[in-house]
Amino acid sequence: MIDPQVLAENASRKLSNLVDEYVVNANIVSSVMVKYADGEVTVTQSWKDYILDVYVSKNSKINTSTYTTHDPIEVLSKLPSLIEKLTASPLYTPLPEPTGSPLSIIDSRLKDSSLSGDISGLLGSIDVKSYGNVAGMIEISYSRSHYIGSNGLDSGFEITEFNGYFRVFRGDDSGQWAWVSTFYDESLARGALDKASSLAELCSSLPKENIETGYYRVLLSPMVSGNLLESVARFSTAGSVILGFSFLQGKKAGDIIASEKLTLREVPRNNRLPNYRGFDDEGVATMDKPIIERGVFKGFLHNSKTAKLMNEKTTGNAGWILPRIFNLEVEPGDIRESELLEALGDGLYATNNWYTRFQNFLEGTFSTVTRDALLIVRRGKPIACSRRARLAGSLPEMLSSIEDLSRERWQIKWWEVRAPIILPHMLIKKITVTSTTL
Amino acid sequence: MIDFIELERIVGEAIRSGAEYAEVRYHRVDGLSLFFLNGVLFGAYQPLVSGVAIRVVYSGGLGFSSTSDLTSEGLRDALSRAIASARSSSFMVKNKVVMGAASLGYAKYSVLERKLLVDMPVEDKINSLVEKLKSIDFKRDPMRISSYTLSYNENIEYKMLVTSDGAVIESRVPRVSLFYNISASSGERRANRWNMLAASGGFEVVDKVKLEEEINDDLNSLYTSLVKAQSPPRGRMDVVLGPEIVGLAMHESVGHPSEADRVLGREAAQAGLSYRREYREPQFGSELVTVIDDPTIPGSYGFYLYDDEGVPARRRFLINKGRLEELLHNRETAAVFNVESNASARATDYRSEPIVRMANTYMAPGDYTFEELIEDVREGVYIRKYMEWNIDDYRWNARYVGLEAYIIKDGRLGDPVRDVVLEITTKEFFSNIDAIGRDLEFSAGTCGKGEPSQPMPVWMGGPHIRLRGVRL
Repeated sequence: MIDPQVLAENASRKLSNLVDEYVVNANIVSSVMVKYADGEVTVTQSWKDYILDVYVSKNSKINTSTYTTHDPIEVLSKLPSLIEKLTASPLYTPLPEPTGSPLSIIDSRLKDSSLSGDISGLLGSIDVKSYGNVAGMIEISYSRSHYIGSNGLDSGFEITEFNGYFRVFRGDDSGQWAWVSTFYDESLARGALDKASSLAELCSSLPKENIETGYYRVLLSPMVSGNLLESVARFSTAGSVILGFSFLQGKKAGDIIASEKLTLREVPRNNRLPNYRGFDDEGVATMDKPIIERGVFKGFLHNSKTAKLMNEKTTGNAGWILPRIFNLEVEPGDIRESELLEALGDGLYATNNWYTRFQNFLEGTFSTVTRDALLIVRRGKPIACSRRARLAGSLPEMLSSIEDLSRERWQIKWWEVRAPIILPHMLIKKITVTSTTL
Repeated sequence: MIDFIELERIVGEAIRSGAEYAEVRYHRVDGLSLFFLNGVLFGAYQPLVSGVAIRVVYSGGLGFSSTSDLTSEGLRDALSRAIASARSSSFMVKNKVVMGAASLGYAKYSVLERKLLVDMPVEDKINSLVEKLKSIDFKRDPMRISSYTLSYNENIEYKMLVTSDGAVIESRVPRVSLFYNISASSGERRANRWNMLAASGGFEVVDKVKLEEEINDDLNSLYTSLVKAQSPPRGRMDVVLGPEIVGLAMHESVGHPSEADRVLGREAAQAGLSYRREYREPQFGSELVTVIDDPTIPGSYGFYLYDDEGVPARRRFLINKGRLEELLHNRETAAVFNVESNASARATDYRSEPIVRMANTYMAPGDYTFEELIEDVREGVYIRKYMEWNIDDYRWNARYVGLEAYIIKDGRLGDPVRDVVLEITTKEFFSNIDAIGRDLEFSAGTCGKGEPSQPMPVWMGGPHIRLRGVRL
């Protein structure tokens, strides 16, 4: 197996005399994914990738590259001739001093199984078949990265990850749940199966009712609120603002943008989540920090380039060209999960959603389609189930309309929530729901 | 660089190891992206993704592995992981995987470039794009442009495929895409318009897609929406839709639900299911409607001549004169439905298993002129462009929000209206079409599907159409 440190050192030697500045990240990723449909395995996939990410600058011109190839060092020789031909970037600023130290988190069971591709011992005890008609996937992975930069960065780290999701069907009804962790814990997979199964069964046991279009109190499961709050976090990166894709354009730290119940944090140093890391792509120390604290916007996420452009400081969120988010966390609220429906009173409990699209990024207007169990709740009791509806509104209005959150939190990552996030249920006072046909 | 002899060797070794089927694909994608902010280059990105994908069926279980390590050791390791994966799948399957019989290709093809991407100096590409942006007059008082971005993306996709049952395919397809976003405001109102223009070919695509015309037209749409448009009428009325929305609807409401893996529930936990699981009435909509998916359209963004299982591509009639017809199949789903694959297996890169995908999906044109579509409407709305859409995971209830739309009154186009929302079921959409335009326009898109996600180049197209009596 190629050692990432050796690959990074070879790349560094190749670049050191050819460009003004560089950072290389040599990365080995081994992962295995088992996919299920109708309670059986449809395919098992195993990946082993050697990835070399490269940032170079010369005379204020900047270029990044990703080489997932057999001999990346040979390809590197093309870079200097390319960069000569670019024009100076208005985003250019010199690489900052590296300030971060590496952080690793390894579960040897995940590492060994990911590298060997043999998952029978690890996943054999998760009895997916016993839940009947189930679709979903389980993924384990191990990655090892080593960064070397002309700014003195020379550091590496390792991470393991265990994530997945299941959608359980009971006739035409269904429930879905997901999990993510840096450790193997089969109870997470079983918990997702149980949760998805119980939602499907609850929906199945209830009469079906169409929802009338109108305003509703809505309880959002962590699957739904994770999807919407991930968008909020992405809109808080300075890149989204500069490129014109954010309703936060024009906002400044200190502005009230949400209910005081909401605290959304970006947490690269939470070792339960797989983007756990001690430094960003520029070598700057990462830090856990609020994006929104008790409803108050705390500022944009930056790398050194966007920070300079907006006359602020880097937040340790590089991205070589534009900043990015690593992990997210939402502070818990006051409602026990067992009391959520009572707190909802009359309204809807949306357990899952997909296909969130923005009508207008600058105003944050969106709609999203619910899927799986959508419970109609009266006086705190589920009285009917509707399979699909559409939530439509604006993120600023939804954020201001958060009434409370649950005490219990879930670690979520799936197809519609790409950034790992720890978060509770979220109770929204008022949002437009439009009817769809059963 | 790997060669066919090495791929044949791996296939042979897989079969000797007990696999019923083996497929080995060398897949290389060379890319270049240039990013512009307000007309100035702010960065470049140069990806190179290359490696080998191995897929085997072993005791009825399907296994997939990939590696970018092309040493003998790396390839041996990848094969042993593919077989181990298939073996482990085989213990957990009720229905054994079979790759259906198909007439397989032994062929080599490539898309020619008038302006070779590899030969054209990058500074010429930059200059050409900067000049195009400079030639555009962004001023539309009192509308203000807060920013505009453009990303230029080229990639050259090279593949070698060998299967244990005789397919040998070599292909080279270059593609160019342009993606832009314009953020604008007028008074308190703000809006943005993004658009993607793309085709297969060389740098000549940049001229072919008429970037300046498209941006100018979108600036006019933003101006109309922000400065002139009023609130839209509500209620049941006639609606004329432009090709941009019709193409999107063909992709979302016909193409996706016609994917056989989705019908079988293989995508149930990700992209969802399909109304075609349950819908049994063959007459689905107006007899005027024919919807086709065709990978063989020359110059298209979704172009290919053989799929990633070696099956020769052809046109697929998803709806023919209002009747639901073919599903899109790969060899695995074709075997389940006891039909022959219609070459819909596509993989994004060497890390991706081939799954059922669309290519270029469109509604066949009819015989109405645009004027004829409008003149017969007493009260209605013409929606020319959209800015938001979504659809449920059965592909039954869709929503389109108009960016540029106009009142139609007594057969004439009237004042512009903004934020027109059309929420409609697929059945109602196709049943209420009473006239189809003779025009046909395609839009480019990147279709999302699969786990891990496999972005796939596609075209979506259609003519203007008229729907009678739908609710806005």
